[in-house]
Parts: sequence; C-alpha cells; structure tokens
Amino acid sequence: MKICIINGSPKTGKSISELLIGYLMQFIKGNEVVTYNICKTGFSKIQFSQIQNSDVLIFAFPLYIDSINSCLLRFLAWLEKRGFENNNIVVYCIINNGFYEGYQNHVAVSIMKNWCKAAGLVYGQTLGIGAGEMLPFFEDVPLGHGPNKNIGTAIQELSRNILSLDQGKDLFISPNLPRFLWKTASSFCFWYPQAKKNGLKRKRLKEKANYISKK
Amino acid sequence: MNILIHDLSNMQFQSLFPEVCNNVHIIQDNGTIKHCTGCFGCWIKTPGKCVLKDGYDNMGELLSNSAKVTIISRCLYGCYSPFVKNVLDRSIPWLLPFFKIKNNETHHKRRYRNNIQLTVHFYGEKITTEERETAEKLVKANCNNFYMKNYEISFSNSLEELSGKVIAI
Repeated sequence: MKICIINGSPKTGKSISELLIGYLMQFIKGNEVVTYNICKTGFSKIQFSQIQNSDVLIFAFPLYIDSINSCLLRFLAWLEKRGFENNNIVVYCIINNGFYEGYQNHVAVSIMKNWCKAAGLVYGQTLGIGAGEMLPFFEDVPLGHGPNKNIGTAIQELSRNILSLDQGKDLFISPNLPRFLWKTASSFCFWYPQAKKNGLKRKRLKEKANYISKK
Repeated sequence: MNILIHDLSNMQFQSLFPEVCNNVHIIQDNGTIKHCTGCFGCWIKTPGKCVLKDGYDNMGELLSNSAKVTIISRCLYGCYSPFVKNVLDRSIPWLLPFFKIKNNETHHKRRYRNNIQLTVHFYGEKITTEERETAEKLVKANCNNFYMKNYEISFSNSLEELSGKVIAI
C-alpha cells in the first residue's frame, strides 16, 4: 500500500506532528510510506505525482486558532486546484492542539472533511489529540502505557483503519493525566522555564505590549 | 479604533468601499506576511509581540486598542482565506500562554481586558451548506477563545452582494 504523509506543522524545529507521525510509523511498517513537510520545503511535480498515486493520504498538523494554519490551508487550496485523477484516495488526519481536550479539534476536522468533498476524495478518520505540547515529555513512555495509554489505543485503531482503507468514527482523546495537573505543569514545567531561558522573569510574561505607542 | 481585515485586491476594495472611516485600521495583503511558526516567541521572548518582523507583528497590541473587528474573507472549506487566517494565526499575542477553565474547557487567559465585537463577512460563489455550518462553528469558537461576547456573521455569493451587507467601515 502506498501511503503519503503530509506534515503540516509550520514549526522550524522538531514538531509534535513529527512525533505523532513517528508513533504512527510503528504500526504501518511494511508499506511504501513517504513523508513531506509542506511548510518547510517547496513541492515538486514528482512529489505531487506521488500524492496522486497514493492509496492513503495522511495529514498531521497542529490546531491554529480553532482550525488549520495558513500554510497548510494554502497547500490544500493548491492541491484542490491541481485536482486529483485518483478519487479513491482515503484521507486521514492526526490533529493536535495545545488545550487539554482533544475534541477542541472538531472545527478543523469539519474543514478537512469539506476539503475532501471539494477535492473529490474519501474521508477516513480523525485522531484529535489534546495537550499536544506535553507529548514530548512522555516520549520515552511506551505507547499504551501511563500518560500515553489513550494515545496508544487510538493510534492502533487509526492504523488498523488506514491499513484496511476503512472509515471510522473520529477519535478525540486527552492524555491520561488529570486536567488540573496538566494545567499546573504547563506553567511550571513549560512556560516559566522557557521564559527563564530567554532571560525573562515570570511576571514579564503577562506584560501588555506598548510597541506601537513607543514608535 | 476599529480594525478591518480583508483579502480583497486594492482594486476590488476601492471599488466596493470608496470611503472608509478615519478610525479604521485596515489590514490587507501587501505580499510580505510570514506564516506563524508556532515558536511561541510572542509569549516567551517578546511578550505581546510577534518575533517575525514583517509589518504584521503587532496584531496583539492592535487588537488591544480595538472595539470592533470586521473581517471580509473568502470562505474556503468553511475556513477563512489563507491571508485572513494568516493574520489571525499571528494574533495570539492578544492572549497569554496560561490556561483557564471556561465552560468545562481549557482556554488561554487573556492579556488584555478590552471587549471586541466581531463581524465576519464571508463571500464565495459556491459556499456549500456544510462549509457554511463549519464557518459558523469556527467564528463561534474564535469568539470563545478571544473573549468576544458579540459577533455577527454573513455569507454572500458575490462581492456585489457583499458590498450591500458591509455597512459603516
């Protein structure tokens, strides 16, 4: 089976989408898989032809302002404009957001389903993941265990449907970690240490900008 | 100050809206906008300001001085057009990185206290029922995340129809 994975993360460094693609790869071994990051590299005729000849198209991307980031949106419009000769391609999405609740990806899912309809493709299934920024902290925890329990189960289900080209009910998951703990950890283990690295004290993060009035 | 974000060409805009109020700050595509790279620099390096210097880096502060935001956008799959979405992606400095629970959902806390009224005018020749429903869900979700209590939304099949719906900009 030919599988084309589109990494739709605009991040310059390692992204959560990349991590999730790595998780999925464990379950789709033995297939012809190509991965592109459309925000980092241009897109050639050869790559477009590989998409056209795929059985499966998987989009992995982060949620931006309740929907799809502008970079991926431009790419989707471009793909639709070029048109698909093969209308049997099945599309799956792995969407992660920075909130706790995976279901906050639901608008982005609707947009992707509308795109599929416009492009004449079949929509397979969504995996919508909450607390995406926390996933790298648990990278060493095996899938299906501890905080990665839900994500492991969901990725297995998604991969089963991908390999059989089946459609499935959209899956929305949060990590196996209480919300209050995640919320506290996001400040103390993520935002504050990041600010400190940049030489900023905690209270400065809440400053109101006055760059325009300074001009 | 009011803000107008639109994706029309100069010619389209001037022909549809020859007169614009003095207090309206217009944000349009001048070809230089960069896409948000998710670096969180606007939260952890230069709080409230985007680190990409392209003339669209002060969206948070601009929004903080606004009472009304009007968006004119092509409806693309139930989303905004790429340019308008790009501007909105660059608007997260209006928010803080920290979270709060609102209606049993997590959302970012607000950096500013101003209340913004949002009006979105979508246009497009073939907006499907599904795209319309999606766009309505999207605007509602945006309002929820940007603490906007009031919003209006309209759909037009053509720019001519749109010009009749857009009043007082």
